[in-house]
Amino acid sequence: MNTNPDEVKLALWLDDELHGEELEAFEKWVADQPGHLAAREESREWRKMMNAALPASEEPPYPDFFNSRLAKAIHELNATPAGKSAPAFSWRSWLMPVTACAGMVAAFWMGGTLKQPPPTPMVITPVSEKKPLVYLPEKGVAADWFRSEEASATVIVLQGVSAIPDSTDFFSTAYIPMQGDKDRTASNRENEDPKSVRQ
Amino acid sequence: MMNKSNPEASKGMREPVGSVDPDLDNEGPDDDLRLVALAQKGDMRAYDTLVTRHRGRIFAMIRNMIHQEADAWDLAQEVFIKAWQALPRFEAKARFSTWLYRISHNVVYDWVRKRKIESAGELNDEIFEKDRIDPSSSTTPSGGESPDSSMSLGELRVKIEVALSKLSAEHREVVILKDVQGLSYKEIADVMGSTLGTVMSRLFYARQKLQALLKDEYESR
Repeated sequence: MNTNPDEVKLALWLDDELHGEELEAFEKWVADQPGHLAAREESREWRKMMNAALPASEEPPYPDFFNSRLAKAIHELNATPAGKSAPAFSWRSWLMPVTACAGMVAAFWMGGTLKQPPPTPMVITPVSEKKPLVYLPEKGVAADWFRSEEASATVIVLQGVSAIPDSTDFFSTAYIPMQGDKDRTASNRENEDPKSVRQ
Repeated sequence: MMNKSNPEASKGMREPVGSVDPDLDNEGPDDDLRLVALAQKGDMRAYDTLVTRHRGRIFAMIRNMIHQEADAWDLAQEVFIKAWQALPRFEAKARFSTWLYRISHNVVYDWVRKRKIESAGELNDEIFEKDRIDPSSSTTPSGGESPDSSMSLGELRVKIEVALSKLSAEHREVVILKDVQGLSYKEIADVMGSTLGTVMSRLFYARQKLQALLKDEYESR
């Protein structure tokens, strides 16, 4: 009678996935099988090494931002539910082209008759009412931002950021003229020694 | 869309459904199901707790699969968005975490497929053919071949990651799910949509390939 377990059971046992009566029966059979016992130890060592080298769980960078961005994405999904199909016929199907034509005619007429208004100064308005998601890694820091469509620019203002200490070394990030360096821009030429300019 | 099957979903987002505070819980599969039930009713706080609980494992799994942190971050986001959308259909036949791994599997494979199309075949996962594997190597490293204790885990991690990147996507995934994430064969079969036999076969060859790739490391001790 062949009492050897099948390969599936052997694989499960090697990876410590047998339990209860099955495990008990298998352990009895394998007790005098040193090769299998050694293989199981190797398997355990392998998994132990892999677990130690590659953690099963690793927080994503900026985990709080991870959640807040996810919540925003879900909120946006809720605001635009999918699956709504347009009705087969609606007033839009025939009224919209007519309205579009009338609008174009009116626009041409107004363009020809009305004077061009003087250019208005650039308006920069805070757009905080749009409530975009802002991530602030430091507590106590407030942010507001200003958007100018004309300038195609956004300015972000941070309040509550701790002062930059005097000891900060800016030399690695910015050029700061040292004593002895000469500024050769036109506006500063008059301060230079005329002889040196001639040379 | 918050909860397609539940018109009260958006209301639930503002007010937690149920009298249990999602934050005051003990982690575990049973508690996951309690939070899932709340989230299915539209409770965003409960879902946020689930995300916090599982994001580390999902991110680690994806990162180990694609080896790119920024993309892994984005893909992990996609996993939880898809999970939220599919939450009404979750029937608790499997653990919530296994279900998330299943979604991660699909998201990663979609991403890999797109990348392959974009790079017009530049990516070739099958670097190591069967006949290049030492047939005498055992499935797992022998006990005496454990890594040098003087080698830092960081160095070992890099070497394993490099070796993993040389496996096919299927072999890499089965090793990550089994040896890193600690899933059972049955759970891996559910995640990958394969049979138990296929998973066992893939794991056998994947471990064999990994051992061959890390062989120099062991011998240099």
